[in-house]
Parts: sequence; structure tokens; C-alpha cells
Amino acid sequence: MSFVSVQNLQKSYGASPVFTDINCQIQRGEFVTLLGPSGCGKSTLLRCIAGLTAVDSGKILLDGNDLVPLSPQKRGIGMVFQSYALFPNMTVEQNVAFGLRMQKVNADDSRSRVREVLQLVELQDFASRYPHQLSGGQCQRVALARSLVTRPRLLLLDEPLSALDARIRKHLREQIRQIQRELGLTTIFVTHDQEEALTMSDRIFLMNQGRIVQSGDAETLYTAPVDVFAAGFIGNYNLLDADSASRLLQRPVNSRLAIRPEAIALSLSGELEGQVRSHSLLGNVIRYRVEARGVELLVDVLNRSSADLHPDGQRVSLSIDPTALCEVA
Amino acid sequence: MSRAEPGTSRLYHRLMVYLLFIILLLPLAGTLLYSLATSWSASLLPSGLTFKWYLALWSDPRFLAAFGQSLLVCVGALLLSVLLILPLLFVVHYHFPRLDALMNILILLPFAVPPVVSSVGLLQLYGSGPMAMVGTPWILIGCYFTVALPFMYRAITNNLQAINLRDLMDAAQLLGASTFQAAFLVVLPNLRKGLLVALLLSFSFLFGEFVFANLLVGTRYETLQVYLNNMRNSSGHFNSALVISYFLFVLVLTWAANRLNKDKS
Amino acid sequence: MNSIKRSKWLASLFLLPFALFFIIFQIAPLAWVAIHSLQAESGWGLANFSKVFESRFYRQAIQHSLEISFWSSVFGILIAVLGSYSLRKVDSRLRDFVNAFANMTSNFAGVPLAFAFIILLGFNGALTMLLKQAGIIEDFNLYSKTGLIILYTYFQIPLGVLLLYPAFDALREDWRESAELLGANAWQYWLHIGLPVMTPALLGTFVILLANALGAYATVYALTTGNFNVLPIRIAALVAGDISLDPNLASALAVILVGLMTLVTVIHQWLLKRSYHVAR
Repeated sequence: MSFVSVQNLQKSYGASPVFTDINCQIQRGEFVTLLGPSGCGKSTLLRCIAGLTAVDSGKILLDGNDLVPLSPQKRGIGMVFQSYALFPNMTVEQNVAFGLRMQKVNADDSRSRVREVLQLVELQDFASRYPHQLSGGQCQRVALARSLVTRPRLLLLDEPLSALDARIRKHLREQIRQIQRELGLTTIFVTHDQEEALTMSDRIFLMNQGRIVQSGDAETLYTAPVDVFAAGFIGNYNLLDADSASRLLQRPVNSRLAIRPEAIALSLSGELEGQVRSHSLLGNVIRYRVEARGVELLVDVLNRSSADLHPDGQRVSLSIDPTALCEVA
Repeated sequence: MSRAEPGTSRLYHRLMVYLLFIILLLPLAGTLLYSLATSWSASLLPSGLTFKWYLALWSDPRFLAAFGQSLLVCVGALLLSVLLILPLLFVVHYHFPRLDALMNILILLPFAVPPVVSSVGLLQLYGSGPMAMVGTPWILIGCYFTVALPFMYRAITNNLQAINLRDLMDAAQLLGASTFQAAFLVVLPNLRKGLLVALLLSFSFLFGEFVFANLLVGTRYETLQVYLNNMRNSSGHFNSALVISYFLFVLVLTWAANRLNKDKS
Repeated sequence: MNSIKRSKWLASLFLLPFALFFIIFQIAPLAWVAIHSLQAESGWGLANFSKVFESRFYRQAIQHSLEISFWSSVFGILIAVLGSYSLRKVDSRLRDFVNAFANMTSNFAGVPLAFAFIILLGFNGALTMLLKQAGIIEDFNLYSKTGLIILYTYFQIPLGVLLLYPAFDALREDWRESAELLGANAWQYWLHIGLPVMTPALLGTFVILLANALGAYATVYALTTGNFNVLPIRIAALVAGDISLDPNLASALAVILVGLMTLVTVIHQWLLKRSYHVAR
């Protein structure tokens, strides 16, 4: 029995549907990501689970109980917002203690639990600061602490790292994942950043236009996209229609093919011939645009030595790993 | 917002807004009804409806004189304001931007100092002697200028900041215009709408001014508000027709200002 | 450099007409009042002020002014808070209409308002009749302190709505949602988060309403033909009435009036400093 079960969920704003018939299951202790472009419905789904947005029909089961008729106060769910949503008139300690206060936990227990969770996010020295005195990363850690201290059954994170700069984002990513593992807390994470999704999740639900397009672990999603959208969203897939694919591989191909750039190797001699059109240096990877048999392909080569540097115009030979050829809808 | 019952909270908010509306409407509605009633005393509703009070009002020469005098004073005051404030704003924003902070404090004075207080000094200073203007419309025009000042200053300042005065002037001057030409041909046309809105709103405010009009001038130059007060002993129906006529006039002005404001964006 | 300096001098000439008129009609009267408040028959000193504070009559004027201003501001801000908060939550057609209507009724203060209230709530007013028939009140005197408080409350409401409506922008929706998920119901949200965050705006509006009511003259004059004992009436009576004219005493009263308004503003600033600092 899954811990969280979303069944036949429907939601529309007036005449325009957000999602029609969403189903997904999440196991206890899993870290699951809802991934997708803006407007795909991932944040709305999260808010429906939290109870902040009403659903039109369907069920949301948490440990067997349907959440839909319950108000947000009663769902036992913690949530971290993109904008932190820290109460500006309260100190860090008061912010974190708020949920315990609503649960009428007595003052001593509350104080020790607050201290404990602040240590977990490494902010125990900031207890009497106000939110406007904290940096973005610190604010988000306080928001995390505030949602954890009430010992929720489910933790929701709505693009919590999008407003932070890259270095802090990486650090917080690890911290969140570590805390989640320690506590064994079932977590749903929403993001549009595929790198975040791939590095943090046990499982990913890829969403587009209100549907769950594909679900699976990071490896599966990355190496075996099911359709054009998935292939276009994750990674930098080369998408070939059937004709171009036939021309390239010189055998009949019935469907569209997706090929990962790193699955193509370049050498100076071989059967499949092509020419380097342009390149860009991405640091540890060199990305080439190569034309072979009238088809333009992106090829990623690890920047190991000068032998991997091919000037524009150079004639090269491509070798494609046959297992990396992915048929997409 | 409670998820479990969004309908109830929506209902509550509608109810509160209607309540607010009704509270604000009641005095107006009562007056309107009274102005249309044949007679209405000690009973819940008037006995009959008629337009005769409005006819009596608009054919009363004293009313028309008061209306006209109010118009004159307000228009005069606004004309004076435009002549004084536009150059002021221009000079402050172009040459002395730091004066803006001082100006913002100065324009608080008409708000912070109630008209009764100013009237004490005004009556003594200008009641007699070289600058005697008490009892004439001139003192009213001067005082109304100070009343309109905060509205006009703020409205045109916002406008100037929005059109980026410095850049416009610099561009015009680089293209060969003198300061005067740049001000008249480039800046002024861009201020037209904001100026008009400010004028309309100030006008409605000035039209309803009573304190200065009554204390400094009184019946010697009867404005509409003073006339209204002086007619207190005549028929309540007549007074109501007067009040409603005044209010309708102001309504039209503010409606026009609102429309202009919306057109701007 | 020289031409710029010259043009600046020329420009400052344009400031002169404005300064002239402003001094004549705003600064000079104020200065006269300030100076003459300290001049009595006995020469310079605080004689006028002691006369005011020793007189039961004038003390009553001050008390009435404070009471009416305070209560009308309290009721006015209450109605304005509830009204403008709900106004933000209704659909845009209703909202725009009521907003515009509230703005227009702010012009309905002074003499016309007094007359309208006499029609409604005077001794033979329609509303008075209605309430008497319904048995809610025995007798209602509009020309009393209570009547004035009601009247003042009425014209405070549009001003309150005007000031408070944009102030609710300070309340972020995700604070509300966060509080909900942490277990707070609507009352607890307002008590612990909503009201504290709104406090600066509420205090500021209250102070403006107080000042507005303290200085109001037209409405009470028109209602009671200058017979009710409040500060503005007393001041005007001493300079433009039929009985004894004493502009120096009037100046002292005027200084007290402005002093009260200043005191209220100072208290407001002090209270603001005591509440939490929100980074602007």
C-alpha cells in the first residue's frame, strides 16, 4: 500500500482545465520530484495535496485517509514555499515555534524541539534574529526548520531553491536531502530544474500540460524518455524524425529516435563520416555540432586532452552506441 | 481563505461590501428622496414626488449668483495655482532636485494646519490696513491656492517623474531648443493629462470648501456652501435639492477625472 | 559653468511668486497665531493659556474635541478596515464601483452632510422614525455628542478606506497559507501575524483620521449653528462671532489645537519605533 495515493484528481479554473484525471503513488520515506515546465500543473498539484487549492473531484489518500475534505490545518503536512513565507514580525525562534504553539505544545518542550531542529539546519545561533536580517539561504533553512518541527507525515517543497543563487542552491540541495534521509520523511519536491530533479530524487514524475508524462527513477527518465516532450525536456537529446534517422543509420526506421549527445563518439576514421560545423566549450565538456549524411547532431565529448579538440570544418567519424538509440512517441 | 467553505467566505465579503455601500449611500439617498418629495414629515416615506423644488432652486437668482461666484473663485484659484506651481515644479525638479524634500514638508502645512487656525491670523493680518482683502474674493483665491497646493504638487510631481523630466529637457536642448522652448513644446504637452486630472480633483475639493468662505468672506461674496448654510431656515426640501444639485455637479467632475485617469494607462 | 550658474539664478527667480503667495497666505497667518498666542493684555507670557486651562468652559471644549475625534476615528477605522479588506476580495466590477463611490462620498462632507443627517436622523428624521417604530431607540438627539460622533464617523469612513485599501498589499498570501498549514485558523492568523504586520498602517491611518476630526469645522458648525462646544467652534467664535472678540485668546486655542495634533503624531512615531522593524 502506498503511503500517498492521488486518485483521479481533477481541477479546472472555470472553463480551462489544469489537470484531468491525475493518478500517482508514493511510498513511505520516498523523495519524489514533480518536474516540468511552467504551467504544467505541478505547483497546482502540490497545493491541492496541501489543501491550499480546492480540487473538483478525486481523492488524495495519506496513509489511508482521504485528505480532500480536510482543511489545511488538519492535514499534518509541512510545506516550504519559494518565497520562504517567514512571518516578518517574529524572530527565527518564534517563527519555528509557531506550529508547536498552534498544537498547544507546552513551552519547555517547544523550546527544546525548536533548538533541536535549528541545530539540524545549522542555525542555532540565529534564534533571535528577524527574517529581514537573514540571507536568502538562511531564510529558506528557517522555513525548512519551521515545517519540520511539527513532525509532519508529509513534506512538500514548492521550488524552494529557485530564488537562491547557484552556490547556495547546491549546498542546500544536499542539506535537504540529507535531513530527509535522516528523518525518513516522505517528501514531494516541485521544480522546473532538471539537474535538481536528477540529483535529489528517488523518483521523478515528469509533467506536461496537466498530465504525468513519465515516471521513474533518474536513470530511467534520463536514458529512456517515452516521448518527444520528455526527450526535449531532460538532457540535450538529438531528436530525429523517421526519415532523417533512416538516412543516418542507413536502415529503415519506423519511429522518431532520440540520441543522447554523449552517446556519440568522435574519431578521425571510421564508417559514418561527418564534418564539424561549430563547437562550444562548456568546461569539462566540449559540445560539437556535427553534420553527417545530411543530419545535424549535437555531440558531447569529455574534454580530456587536446586530442578531443576538433577544429571547425574537420572531417570526423561518428560512432553511435546502438543501445542509446531511443524510440520516442 | 478556508478551503472547506470558500462559498461562505465569499458571501461574507460580498455582504461586508454591500454594507459599506449602504452605510455610505444612506444620507445621500435620504437627501435625494427628500428633494423629490412633496412633503415628508414625521413619517417613514414621503407623501408624493415632484420636481418643483429643483425648479424653484434653479430659478432662484441668489442660488445662481452663489453658484457663479463659487465657480469664479475656484477657477481663479486654480488658474493662480497653475501659474505659480508649474514653474515651481519645473525649477525644483530640473535645477534644485534636493528642494523636493523641503517642498514635501511644506505641502504638509495646509493639511497639518486646520483652516480655522489660519483664519485667525488671516482675519487679523488682512482685515484692515495696506493688505485688506477680508470680505473680498481675492483672499479666498489666495487661500484656495494653498488648499489646492498639496494635491497639485503631488500629482504633477508624480507625472514629472514618470516622464523623466531631465532626459526630455536634455534631449530637447541638444537638438537646439532653448529652456523655454523645451519646457513649452516638450514637457508641457506631456503633463496635460496629469494636470487635468489634478485640476478636476482640486476643483471638486475647493467647491465644497466652507471654512475660509464663511469666516473670511461670509455673505459679502456668497459662495455656494455659504449660501447653503444661510438657507438653513428655508424649506428642507429646497435645501435637499440644493445639496443634490451640488453633489451631482461634483460627481460629474470626479467621474470625468476618473475616466481621464483610466485613459492614461 | 558660468552659463549654468546664471541659468540657475534665473530659474530661482521663478520660485519667487510661489514663495510670495505661500508666505502671505500660509506662513504669515500661522506665524501671527503663534506669536499672538503669547500676547495678552498684560503683555508677553502664557496668560492666554492659563486662562484656557482654568476655564471649565474651554476645558470642556478640549474634552469634547478629543472625545468626538477619538471615537469617530475608532469607529471609522473599524468600518474602514472591515470594508476595505472585503473590498479587496470581491470581484472587480463590484470592487471598482464601490471604490469609486467611496471616493465620491468623501466630497460629501461639511454643510451638505450636516443637512443630510438632519433629514435622516433629526428629531423628525426618517431613520429616527424607523428606529423608534422598531423599538430600537427611545429618543435620539442628533445635536448631542453622540450624534456628532456618528456624523463624524460617516465622513471618516471614505478617508479610512482610501488609506487602508493599498495598505493590505503588505500582507502576503503565502504567510496566510503557511500559517494554515502550521495549524492556525483565521483568528489565530490575524492575531499573531496579520494585525501585527498591519499595525504601522493602522496606526498611521488612525492618526490621520484623528487630525482630520480635530480640525473639522464646517460639519459641526452647520449642524449646530455654532452652538456645540468644540475647539474649532470656540476659536472661530473668538474672531468672527457676534460677542467678544479676542484674537489673542483665539490664537492660544489654535496653538492648543495644533499642539494636540502634533502630540498625536509624536505618539504615533514613538509607537512605530517600538514595534518590530520591517526591512523596507
